[in-house]
Amino acid sequence: MPGLSLVDRLRMAGRSSLLQATWNYERQQGVGWAWSLAPALERFYPDRATRLDRLAEHTAFFNTQPTLASLALGAAAMLEEQRAATGQPDAAGMTRIKNAMGSSLAAIGDRLFWFTLRPLSALIGTLLATASPWLGALALVLCYNAVHQTVRVLGISWGYRLGPAVLSPVLRGRLERMIHAGALLGVAAAGALVAALLVPGGRPSPLEFQLLLAGGLVVGLVATGRVRPSPTEWALGVAALSWAGAWLS
Amino acid sequence: MNPRLLLTIGLGGVAALDAVPVGQTLLSQPLVTAVVLGALWNQPALALSVGIVLQILAASTLPVGARTPEDYALGGVVGCGVALVLFTSQPYNLARDACAFAGVVSGLVAAVAGVPFIKWQRRRNEALSRWCEEALRAGSERAPGAAHVAAVVLAFAIGVALTAIFLAAGYWLLRGTVETQTLRLGRAWSFAHPLWMGLGLAQLLNAFVQRRLVRAALFGASLVAAWAFLVIEGS
Repeated sequence: MPGLSLVDRLRMAGRSSLLQATWNYERQQGVGWAWSLAPALERFYPDRATRLDRLAEHTAFFNTQPTLASLALGAAAMLEEQRAATGQPDAAGMTRIKNAMGSSLAAIGDRLFWFTLRPLSALIGTLLATASPWLGALALVLCYNAVHQTVRVLGISWGYRLGPAVLSPVLRGRLERMIHAGALLGVAAAGALVAALLVPGGRPSPLEFQLLLAGGLVVGLVATGRVRPSPTEWALGVAALSWAGAWLS
Repeated sequence: MNPRLLLTIGLGGVAALDAVPVGQTLLSQPLVTAVVLGALWNQPALALSVGIVLQILAASTLPVGARTPEDYALGGVVGCGVALVLFTSQPYNLARDACAFAGVVSGLVAAVAGVPFIKWQRRRNEALSRWCEEALRAGSERAPGAAHVAAVVLAFAIGVALTAIFLAAGYWLLRGTVETQTLRLGRAWSFAHPLWMGLGLAQLLNAFVQRRLVRAALFGASLVAAWAFLVIEGS
């Protein structure tokens, strides 16, 4: 039986961009997962009835971080190839492996993409936007997508080559190092952004601005320890206070 | 209808797609949509000042676990859109700060108000998911593809509709206030702008530093170095 071609893997990567399109509370990414895996199932199951059965099976509950899902998709394709040839793993085994990979990838993917790369891209973009808006917007998009799209496209091949072993200690170590480096870059970018707000273009901003910025930082740091109010609710409170302050001043 | 307004509403649909259903490339982030809208309305400075505040607040709002985060893709387009529409209807440049304040507040309200619509959309997707599975069992191999087309169309339509509604509501509710309370709103902007930035940056700092002394020291060193560089460059 021929393995997955490059075109198959690219089709899977393209479809994984829509993994979240049908996200819902019941099956979460289930339908998106099945649709992304369909090119591999077409390759490994020439019999239409079996293929439909496998496709329906894969619409069951699945959820993970959407970028790293490509690794799980590649690994699932490898397992489906094995299953088509030998009958193993069976449906229950497949579900167990999928869910284990989903949880592990979500744990590290959330930290890498949502807690590190996205805020870091936003900070770098904002910092550069103070000099040139288009440069800032471009930097934000490129900084994030350099990692996001690379993993999304190549992750299918990595997962297909290594199977569930793709989530090895080596890969985990690499991702952990990326998170650490991203956090260091993030604090440096935050420092530079605060400086750019305090002395825009080398001239000090008004004292009132500097004091209020410091006040916002202190209130924000105190507020981070609480789940509620959320940062957005705090921001709405600031708007109400500022409006009241403008009336009184 | 004003073509710029139509394009702004269309951008709301595109941002709604990029935020979750398609790609997640961050094209929907407030800074990016603000730069596009600033060029579209020929008011880059105003759009950027609104976009930066919303971007810093958006970056500290994370789509993790079961929590549905505020919809800053919608908030970014609505915030900048309201500020720009209000500003172009004002005769004086003096209204810039008032429009920026009104824009950020509109963006924050839209981001919060967008959450129930995201949840509604996800509940609609449940029905789509069940239909897809039944269709597959009945022998329709194209069902997952059709379900994706339907979900993408729904997400785009919701994005467009909400952007149009919030833009119209923001304009009609705030136009009078901006016209009659220009100076007070401008003053409110001068209070709120640094507070918003501080608040958002504190959230990001907390996420990055995680009570590690070395990272806190790096933040301090970077601040001092950048401050010195800017002062020397400026002089």
